[in-house]
Amino acid sequence: MAIEVTRQFLPLLEEEGRGAATDDDAGRDLHYLPDMPDEDPYQAGHRTCAGCGPAIEYRWVLKAAGQDTVVAGPTGCMYVANSTYLCTPYTVPWAHTPIASGGSFTSGMAAGYEAMIRKGRHPGPYPNIIVMAGDGSAADIGLGSISGALYRNHDALFICYDNECYANTGIQVSPTTPYAGLTTFTPFGKANPAGKVLPPKNLAKMMAEGHPHCYVATTTVGYPVDLMNKTRKGLNLRGAAFMHCYTPCQKGWVYQTSMTVELGRRVVEAGLFPVWEYDPENREYHYFHPPVQRPVTDYLAMQGRFGHMLPEHVAATQVAANRNWQDIGMDVPAELREGEDPDKHARLKDETYSMPLNRGVGA
Amino acid sequence: MTTVHVDGAWSQRPAYGPGLRTPEGERRLAELAGTRKRLNGCAAAAYAALYANVDVITAYAIRPYTAIMMNLAQFIADGILDAEYIHADGEHTQLSAAFGAGSCGARAFTGSSGVGVTYAYEMYSIISGARIPIQMSIADRTLDPPGDFGSEHTDALCTRDMGWLMGWAATPQEEFDKSLIAYAIGEDPRVLLPQMVVQDGYFVSHISGEVDMPSAAQVDSYLPPYRLPFPLDPRQPLSHGPQIHPSQGPPLQLERARAMEDAIPVIREKTDEFAQVFGRQYPHFVEEYMLEDAEIAIVISGGHSVTCRAAVNRMRERGVKVGMVRLLWIRPFPSGDLRAALRGVKAVGVVETNLGLGGSTYGGILAPDVTTALYHAENRPHVTSFMAGLGGETVPTAEFEWMAGKLTQAVERGGVEKPAHWVGFEE
Repeated sequence: MAIEVTRQFLPLLEEEGRGAATDDDAGRDLHYLPDMPDEDPYQAGHRTCAGCGPAIEYRWVLKAAGQDTVVAGPTGCMYVANSTYLCTPYTVPWAHTPIASGGSFTSGMAAGYEAMIRKGRHPGPYPNIIVMAGDGSAADIGLGSISGALYRNHDALFICYDNECYANTGIQVSPTTPYAGLTTFTPFGKANPAGKVLPPKNLAKMMAEGHPHCYVATTTVGYPVDLMNKTRKGLNLRGAAFMHCYTPCQKGWVYQTSMTVELGRRVVEAGLFPVWEYDPENREYHYFHPPVQRPVTDYLAMQGRFGHMLPEHVAATQVAANRNWQDIGMDVPAELREGEDPDKHARLKDETYSMPLNRGVGA
Repeated sequence: MTTVHVDGAWSQRPAYGPGLRTPEGERRLAELAGTRKRLNGCAAAAYAALYANVDVITAYAIRPYTAIMMNLAQFIADGILDAEYIHADGEHTQLSAAFGAGSCGARAFTGSSGVGVTYAYEMYSIISGARIPIQMSIADRTLDPPGDFGSEHTDALCTRDMGWLMGWAATPQEEFDKSLIAYAIGEDPRVLLPQMVVQDGYFVSHISGEVDMPSAAQVDSYLPPYRLPFPLDPRQPLSHGPQIHPSQGPPLQLERARAMEDAIPVIREKTDEFAQVFGRQYPHFVEEYMLEDAEIAIVISGGHSVTCRAAVNRMRERGVKVGMVRLLWIRPFPSGDLRAALRGVKAVGVVETNLGLGGSTYGGILAPDVTTALYHAENRPHVTSFMAGLGGETVPTAEFEWMAGKLTQAVERGGVEKPAHWVGFEE
């Protein structure tokens, strides 16, 4: 007879006072002091850039998941930067997959463990199975493969670490590159001063709406406890889960390397990356309402990739942000509403914004 | 012999038990043992996967191989087979998921036909390079264009240099047997290579033949549980498929090349072991038919060999000294066995049921390999090739007789007319 497959349960970390909703007055440094698990399966020995957002995400996800975990990594910057033959930063089993195979290879791992444990070939317990795919893999070439895996509801966590470009190959546009984002495939020039002219794909909503039986969440490297708890929720829930994590890329976005985590909060506070959870049981979205609402310039002006933006581009980005505020059930303050008017803006490099940082191209 | 050099890993590797069969499966296999069933090639492949007690199956629909997966789906629905059955979203996913399962230590089975085989192309080199011995069962089909369901060997042959063991079965019985033999070879720790077990679409896949059903105990004794030496297992963490520095490329590629060569003695061994357990002895690499005194010979692969054998018989009645060589494996290519089989033959014609556009013969894919193998023969025969059976067309005996005529001419003239003949388009 088939053997019952035993599964792991990971307790959630206490969020009180240091969850994503903690405002500035309460002390944002609390975010830095979670009771991080001692386990650290993503170790030294990799070659990620200074200020690498995905490396932070990798480390927190694997701390949350622990040692009884199997990880797949499709081609992307976190393949190339992490793995070097005869050297590995992983103390958990890890496998490279082709860039389009994040969902499919992981489906195979999940199916393999289900069958092997059930048939007595492996003693179990069922490991945490995680794939961390870049946005090029998850939103572009491997979208169908991840959708297939969610649809089939394999017991695994499918993560998109989103640095909004193909960073590994030299910063090319991806479907999640923001409007007006500069990449080497979307340069700005006289004929096209905007750079990228298309708005980004809404990857996480597509996954939630299209696979309503799955736990789907978005988060950023600005909120460690939130990120780790969503990882654990996705793993605890039997079946497929999808987590979309915003992870700044210093090399691709051109910002001061110490600002990675700050960007992870500002993008939320500027209304450009809503953080939410989709609860498949009740088919409800739970939106995080940040304690601060900022004009998009507070976010854009920190990054060189937006340094070419003209007033109309800034205004168009504020329109998109304001729509996001409404989508997540928040009022749009008058100041942000006014920002929809190009006449209220200067060129981005001449805008004033809230952080005393060098700004403009190469900030 | 070259193996994967992980010192110590072999003794420490985590234990993987034999897979349990379901009670229904045990009952069904006990009923089947010793019986003879009428099965087409697709059903034969599915029964082999059932006997092999595969853990993970990845399916996607394309004719004609689909019937393999239909049979397996029914086995699972009936409770005869306990396996995870993945409805893939395409062949790339089929191969990737089977790769993922195989990398964790599960026995994985997949398959395809025609453009499905080529849709997954990226995966072939990756899977063989990772040394994950999954099995892919192909019922071959013409590539587009033209839109055509018929058999042509081009689909599988496109992947011939990607590091997979590859060979054609000519009957449902051979398809059943070859599926088991291929798993036994591929999973052997001295080999660790994925396998393509190929049959001609429709000619073999959809025509019934008699297949002897073994006992589960026979299969279990011949095919031990799959034990990958380096699985993705938290009990023994390791990394698969890292980036390399260019200086690490040559030794790794050399190891892959040697893996194919090293498979040759294991193919012989496992073919003979199969005969001991099941009582059916296959040639190791090439079937030699009427070659003893042959002056001319036809080299062929797959189901058309059945017709070819009949044509050889007819011609022999008329005194034509013709023989046939059937290739049971295309990869690794049996250069030595082929040379030995064709010693004494004066002219050789390769039947190309495939398309190799713009290649060295301006015909097909096989003749260049055959020619290279024969170039080093002591008395090198004349070699030509015949484009026949394309698009799923039959190759009737009259065409084999026409080919023999061309070969006889070559012997008489002391040379071939051209490297590739298009049968039916020439005098």
